[in-house]
Amino acid sequence: MSEAHSKSPNQSPDAVVWLEQHGDYLFKYAIFRLRDPTAAEDAVQETFLAALKAYGKFEGRGSERTWLVGILKHKITDHFRRSTREAPIGEGEDDGPEHAEFFTRTDEWEHHWNKDYAPTDWHATPAQLLEQGDFWRVFSDCLSPLPERTASAFALREVDGLTSEEICEALGITVNNLWVMLHRARLHLRNCLELNWFRRQTDGQ
Amino acid sequence: MKIGWYEKIKHAIRYWLLRQLPPCKQTVEVISQSFERELSLRERVILKLHLWICAWCQWYLEHLQIMRNSMREKGLEGPEIDFPAAPTLSSEARERIKRQLTGEKD
Repeated sequence: MSEAHSKSPNQSPDAVVWLEQHGDYLFKYAIFRLRDPTAAEDAVQETFLAALKAYGKFEGRGSERTWLVGILKHKITDHFRRSTREAPIGEGEDDGPEHAEFFTRTDEWEHHWNKDYAPTDWHATPAQLLEQGDFWRVFSDCLSPLPERTASAFALREVDGLTSEEICEALGITVNNLWVMLHRARLHLRNCLELNWFRRQTDGQ
Repeated sequence: MKIGWYEKIKHAIRYWLLRQLPPCKQTVEVISQSFERELSLRERVILKLHLWICAWCQWYLEHLQIMRNSMREKGLEGPEIDFPAAPTLSSEARERIKRQLTGEKD
């Protein structure tokens, strides 16, 4: 027992305090990934219960919040694993919009960028974007039309930084499947951000 | 006059090259995969050549980098994204979790 770090090793009055201090934060984190309030509430509840059981393992390294977020990430991955079991992936299932219109279909430049959808200079750096709260609202709106599995795979990869293997295992998909999903998500998101954020920013200036 | 010729030749080379290489639609798929795995030497050379002549795909690559880097940072910092529909735990959920947490000890 690492009594030096735990204020009350035999009881856990901390649990209710945790709920007050970290409940909303964890909920926001969960809903960003799961996009469903009920599933997010369940994940938060499971996180606190698991944290309570495993409190002995928390030795005060790092903050409580980081520790809790770590547990929550596992619960979120578990959620995806379960929902994948319930709905096994079908052949030709919707991986997200193909956006064929982004590329020309006729004339000599077939399959090259359609000028109306071609990327332009964003005039932005990640550091600048982090400071712009409105950008992240647009970002989350842009993610919402994607099929759930595609959006999940994309968030697990780009936000949580899970490896391809971990995501494939959690979602029960093949690596080629994952690459198609990530590609579609990027194609869609990039265009949506450009139209709804970056072009508006330059128009406004 | 000299510059005119030079520009014409450069344009001709680029045009010719663009006809030889895989089109943008395939190139953006390779760009996306370059974020997931090590590209083969052949893929890298073809991609480099395509990027040399195609500003649009250059922007595409840069945008994917911006998206990945800012999302990773955002994930570390904490996703303080406004979700107007459900910004916080509902009081019912809070009570339910509290009951579960205290119930566990009995």
